[in-house]
Amino acid sequence: MTHAIEVSNLTKRFGDVLAVDDLSFTVDEGRIVGFLGPNGAGKTTTLRMLLGLVYPTAGSSTIFGTDYHHLDDPVHKVGAVLDGGMLHPGRTGRNHLRALAKAAGVSGTRSDELLQLVALTDAANRRAGGYSLGMRQRLGLAAALLGDPHVLVLDEPANGLDPQGIRWLRDFLRSLAREGRAVLVSSHVLAEVSQTADDVVVINRGRSVAQGTLTELIARSGGGMRVAGPDVRRLRELLVADGANVSGDGDIVVRDRSGEDIGRVIAENQLVVSELTPVGSSLEEVFFELTEAGGGPS
Amino acid sequence: MTRLVTAEIFKLRTTRTFYGIVGGALGLVLLIVVVASATATWNPGDTPLRDLLGISGFAQVFALVLGILALTSEFRHGTITPSLLVVPDRVRLTLAKLGASLAIGLALGLAATGLTAAIGAAILNARGIDTGLTGSQLTKMIVGVTIATALYAALGVGVGALVRNQVGAIVGTLVYLFVLENLLQIVKPLRDVLAKYGFGGVGQGLTGTGDAGADHPPLGQVSAGLVLAGYCAIFLIAGIAMMKRRDITA
Repeated sequence: MTHAIEVSNLTKRFGDVLAVDDLSFTVDEGRIVGFLGPNGAGKTTTLRMLLGLVYPTAGSSTIFGTDYHHLDDPVHKVGAVLDGGMLHPGRTGRNHLRALAKAAGVSGTRSDELLQLVALTDAANRRAGGYSLGMRQRLGLAAALLGDPHVLVLDEPANGLDPQGIRWLRDFLRSLAREGRAVLVSSHVLAEVSQTADDVVVINRGRSVAQGTLTELIARSGGGMRVAGPDVRRLRELLVADGANVSGDGDIVVRDRSGEDIGRVIAENQLVVSELTPVGSSLEEVFFELTEAGGGPS
Repeated sequence: MTRLVTAEIFKLRTTRTFYGIVGGALGLVLLIVVVASATATWNPGDTPLRDLLGISGFAQVFALVLGILALTSEFRHGTITPSLLVVPDRVRLTLAKLGASLAIGLALGLAATGLTAAIGAAILNARGIDTGLTGSQLTKMIVGVTIATALYAALGVGVGALVRNQVGAIVGTLVYLFVLENLLQIVKPLRDVLAKYGFGGVGQGLTGTGDAGADHPPLGQVSAGLVLAGYCAIFLIAGIAMMKRRDITA
């Protein structure tokens, strides 16, 4: 099967700096993949290579088996938001979107619908120079959705969004994945993607340091899902019988099952619980542990 | 391709800079034309309307800046990224900008010469001065200046693709055209070549504003047009080659 996104042995050297080093991963339809790493880890360079903006020194990246330059209708296959603020300050938001829509052969009606979707209708006729970072991000998202693409690539989309905006984005990405789209979303904050992503790819200094489902990463971190409530004892038996790694008495911590997995067991067996929470702090710790080698903020 | 050219024209005309440049070009040309035709004196045998049409050549400089902006403003504001996501083929994107700039250059050139001819002739007539141009000479000049304006817009696209830095591209080009090319002509052997084949000389040949009796008579209109088009092609080919291999990092 062809993957929605396939990055294989991708390498990029800028002069003496090895920005991306032999990186490989895949993203499939219906999945949200969090692409994590500290600032300067090579996330943006990787995404720009995937989108045909930066030429790799070695390796390749494809979308449905074709490199970006050879997609016959890129706008309808891939939508991308790369670091915000890429607007002409003198052009209105609506005209920015319409210029891209015209080039893509997408109707003006569609761009107006998208402005409504990202809640920019009121500001659409103002010059983009006065937009806040959040508004720029939302306009970028509208541009990415012009062609109703199967694949979405988002570089730090939560930057500049307020808490409501971040929540809106999270729900929005979830709904896109439910519709069967592949979503690749980069971030330097693990917490940001921990509630959204199915899988994660963690890179540091251009190299992959961890890849897997979020549940696996949580298990590896020594964290997990904490469950409390009257039927915990019964739940524990069921999970252990299923081969899960469960620790604790009274309140239990389940290492290698996602919240959804546990919720399903609870529902199927009609159990009562009062709490089902990810133990998050250790998740951040594993992220630090994985990426600390670089040392110091960059 | 038509779709892409339309999108590029839309991009150009949705900024205030565009209206500033077009308005500035037409305003400046018409102001000088009105003042000159209303106040200047000519001797019998002069060609007043030809002199006035020479003024409309100012539009070429504005067209050049528009062409440069078509590409450099995308780099300056980072909009090159979304543009290339929609049109990943950089050659096609640059050619679409070329098409848009040529179209706008033609329209600007035609507006500048048409208005100059109409207003200049009307004022000269009112003053009882003969325009000094036959109908076919007038047509030839209007065509020449209009094509020169379009070609300068095309040259701007080539320069912008090559240099990318907006201020550098504009300042560098204007300094060459207005200062350096004239300075170079101080050197005798260069003067012979530049007077004929430099941008100034070729422009005079194409627009018919040169002095045929000078010691370095300009090229004929068609040859001058071809040489200028050739210069544009050199810059465009070099610019497109740069565009193709460049990493777009912001």
